[in-house]
Amino acid sequence: MTGFSPSRRHLLRVGGGLSILGAAAPFALQMAAAGSAASQSAPDYRALVCIFLFGGNDSHNTVLATDTDSFGRYFSARNTGNAPIALMPPGTPPTPVGATSSVTGRVATADSPEAWGGVLPIVPRTPNPIPAGTNATVRTFALHPFLGPLKTLFDAGRLGVVANVGTLIRPITKTQFQGGTVAFPANLFSHNDQQSTWQAGVTEGARVGWGGRMGDMLAGMNGTDTLFTAISTAGNAVFLSGQSVIQYQMTTAAQPAVVINGQSGASLFGSTVAPSRVRSLIQDQSAAGLFAADYATVTNRSIGAATTINGLFTQPVVTAIPAPTAYVNPITGATETNSLATQLQTVARMIAASGSTGVRRQVFFVSLGGWDTHDFQNTAQSNNLAKVAHGMAYFDSVLASIGGVNMRNAVTTFTASDFSRTFSTNGDGTDHAWGGHHFVMGGSVRGGDIYGQYPTLGVDLGSFNNPDNSRGALIPTTSVDQYAATMGRWLGVSESGLDSIFPNLRNFPTRGLGFLG
Amino acid sequence: MSIGSIWRKLRAVIAPAVLAVALTSCGGGGGEAPGTTSPPPTAISISDAEAGRFLTQTTFGATDADIATVKLLGYRAWLDQQMATTSPSHLNYLDNRLAQLRLTTPTATLNANNFYESFWLYSATGDSQLRERMKLALSEIFVISMVDPNVDTRGAGAYYDMLGANAFGNFRTLLEQVTLHPMMGVYLTHLANQKEDPATGRNPDENYAREVMQLMTIGVDELNIDGTVRTSGGAPIPAYTAADISGLAKVFTGLSWYSPTPSNNTFFGRNRDPDASARSMIFYPAFHSTSTKTFLGVSTTSDGPGDLQFALNTIFNHPNVGPFIGRQLIKRLVTSNPSPAYVQRVATVFNNNGAGVRGDMAAVVRAILLDSEARDVSVAASPSFGKVREPMVRMANWMRTFGATSVSGRYLLNSTSATTSLGQSALASPSVFNFYRPGYIPPNTRLGTAGLTAPEFQIVDEVTVAGYANTMQTAIGTGIGTSTDVRSTYASEVAIATDAVALVNRMDRMLLYGQMSSGLRTALTDSINSIAIPAAGSTQAQIDAALLNRARLAVYMTMVSPEYLIQR
Repeated sequence: MTGFSPSRRHLLRVGGGLSILGAAAPFALQMAAAGSAASQSAPDYRALVCIFLFGGNDSHNTVLATDTDSFGRYFSARNTGNAPIALMPPGTPPTPVGATSSVTGRVATADSPEAWGGVLPIVPRTPNPIPAGTNATVRTFALHPFLGPLKTLFDAGRLGVVANVGTLIRPITKTQFQGGTVAFPANLFSHNDQQSTWQAGVTEGARVGWGGRMGDMLAGMNGTDTLFTAISTAGNAVFLSGQSVIQYQMTTAAQPAVVINGQSGASLFGSTVAPSRVRSLIQDQSAAGLFAADYATVTNRSIGAATTINGLFTQPVVTAIPAPTAYVNPITGATETNSLATQLQTVARMIAASGSTGVRRQVFFVSLGGWDTHDFQNTAQSNNLAKVAHGMAYFDSVLASIGGVNMRNAVTTFTASDFSRTFSTNGDGTDHAWGGHHFVMGGSVRGGDIYGQYPTLGVDLGSFNNPDNSRGALIPTTSVDQYAATMGRWLGVSESGLDSIFPNLRNFPTRGLGFLG
Repeated sequence: MSIGSIWRKLRAVIAPAVLAVALTSCGGGGGEAPGTTSPPPTAISISDAEAGRFLTQTTFGATDADIATVKLLGYRAWLDQQMATTSPSHLNYLDNRLAQLRLTTPTATLNANNFYESFWLYSATGDSQLRERMKLALSEIFVISMVDPNVDTRGAGAYYDMLGANAFGNFRTLLEQVTLHPMMGVYLTHLANQKEDPATGRNPDENYAREVMQLMTIGVDELNIDGTVRTSGGAPIPAYTAADISGLAKVFTGLSWYSPTPSNNTFFGRNRDPDASARSMIFYPAFHSTSTKTFLGVSTTSDGPGDLQFALNTIFNHPNVGPFIGRQLIKRLVTSNPSPAYVQRVATVFNNNGAGVRGDMAAVVRAILLDSEARDVSVAASPSFGKVREPMVRMANWMRTFGATSVSGRYLLNSTSATTSLGQSALASPSVFNFYRPGYIPPNTRLGTAGLTAPEFQIVDEVTVAGYANTMQTAIGTGIGTSTDVRSTYASEVAIATDAVALVNRMDRMLLYGQMSSGLRTALTDSINSIAIPAAGSTQAQIDAALLNRARLAVYMTMVSPEYLIQR
């Protein structure tokens, strides 16, 4: 085996502690002692946290325009079908289950929007410009009724909305898109390809994502702990793969690394010889076969990091991170697992642990699935949105004090998704579309505002021709590259570095969207 | 099983003419379409190692009896024999299981664990091994998932049976039965999909229309017959557009639950027939689009059944289907990076089985497994050849090869989806994109640098490699599942465990088709020998314990070795 040895650097860093604790003290104990002091400062630490909503979130039911023209077109398009998905206007009181809604004339059920009450108004600090195609003279906005915790964060100035973001090569109009006269990304509307394009700029098969590339450029600040630069709790995601930076997987357990027992014990099936032989065998990367050598490389990383990570996670500053509050499904009233909140707890623990490592820049990837709401959208998406709000609010509260230090300014969290969904309903759900609205959260975020152009709403019917909507899909007016570059610059990537990561960035008039200070 | 008993068993299922061919062409392959299939292997006899390697691609793991049978019959006749056998019904298993559960709990219902029971039972012990492997392979292309709460267990069992019943039939029939299956209907949401409403701009759900083309038949780009992407000006040529999907989506309107008395109520899922989750969906004319449906350059304006036949024929006859399906099946069974020529040979057979029939899956499977690229050991020696064995296949391999039995008879493994377990369970992938994509290229690897795909690597990471090793240590040691339900006594291994070399040779034969490296051989021999056999005067129990430990250690070390994890 070669190379990777995270423990070596730690031993150098905590060398002073060794004389106090004694050279024979267990490694984890050494780290705990060192960590409690180091976590107080954490100078110049910054992290990006990507919350990927797998399946394509319907952002039309996430961030809404509530002026008369916008909401009228929204309501007429979505208040139809066998399970209408139109949300209720702002100020509408919840209709008790079994009672008739004064808005729709239908009897409310627990999973119908009538029972949830109106959308929650938000007031951006800056008036969003009036786009072409709408009659509105002033535009007002709101969030889904289950996003109360995000409204609170918006109002507190730690959450912003970025409107109509999507995968783009260069700015494009509806006419140009429909005429095919300006280049646009391949395989629009395809889940796997658009997930890849969001994360890595190109369709499936991409090997380098922008989170990993930012890691490449900043890993020099992380000393030799580069393995902890790009961390996922959600499986392999090309987002985190750099040219040199490799993503590291963690579970959400209190001890997040899984130790391979067959090589770690004193004996195995009665043999004291076997554990060391297993250890060599499963990490042997010398095979001529590429598959075998690559598999052994992953095993090598797994074994090399497990003891270190699990040791770090015994520190008081890590174990003090509180668990998320219980999550209650707002439709059923049942307590459910919110895997997003659990993943964010692990991220918070890792941020806490980073105080005692050399890591200064980190990129995290967490995810929540179940957004591909072709049907049953009312039950599926609403519960998912409530989970996002619960998880993000929890994460914000935890970051307020990590080992006594307010880390909110050091961590920026953002949402991403395959695509948004069609403006029109198919009866009880929506289809794959393109541009959508996203959230950015953190102490460094200039919150309480909407960035980018919130689009004109409405399907093309009769003489109405919506310049922002093609076949039900929003044509993005802000590119993923602009969204990402704004965060990359904040993280510390140079302008030339951004041009390298995002070769299409120069096609857009604005490099930064201004939502980060 | 003795050769004699195998022989008697085979006689019952194989026509005498086939046997006669088998006797004279042991090991012989044979072209499906003259002039396009590669020359058959010329070996007149099959070695144990060659048989073992063949069985690695075609079963959930070799047994001594399997090796003997393949050597006796030859590859082709063995395939014929396997294709002639039917596999047990998961639906029957589930119905019996529910009846049993209700003896003690009258309100009992089935859950996914009950399907997993039947999956392990039949995968590990079923006689129709090739069909069992094909069911798993097809379930990873025509994906439904019990992760979706709308997919019910009984329906999932029926779906898995349907994949098995069509594994060696015609692809066109498979495509139709997949399309009409209510579990696909609920999973990809074309069940109770309504026609468009121009007044409100409401459109039909496009989910199934998109994924049946993207994931099950055509793929996003136009392909040459060898599976390479057709390009124009350097860019891939899209195989279809968003408008094609919208047009095709109208075909899949008006389908919903089977009912002997269809009504609007039954369309929307009320008054459900007790067998509805296991019977093909039916058309409800009132909800089927009456407008012209245009897609892939053609149009249809018919009723539901008429539109469906037209649409499925159109998709089935798309030139992409042969290379698209051929390559995916090669990736499931043989190797992650087949040569274009290999794909072309298989696609050619898909297009025409030699008798003018398109979509003959039996011929396609023969073409895949008898191809020189699958059979030639020198091809397998290439550094880029092979695939990661799927974790589920490894577990079933342990059960089958080492004769593990279920104490309860129910194979109570429950879900193995956790990343600290196998990271997957049958019919329970996270999405319609399966556990891994056929085009996945692992970043930051030698494979990635070489531009090679490695689908299964999508679930290989720091957590899952450890999860698998620990899960196997438990299974091999004490057994796995509820009350360690599935265990092995390693009778064949214990019998030779006094002799480390013999035990190592057995691992080589059963798990590595005779290709064990000298490094693994040394590590195994040294480790086995470090477990001393108690000297004379010890109790038999002490001796037995040492022999059992030797067997367990040998199996564990082999099954976590990189050379086992990669099928070559």
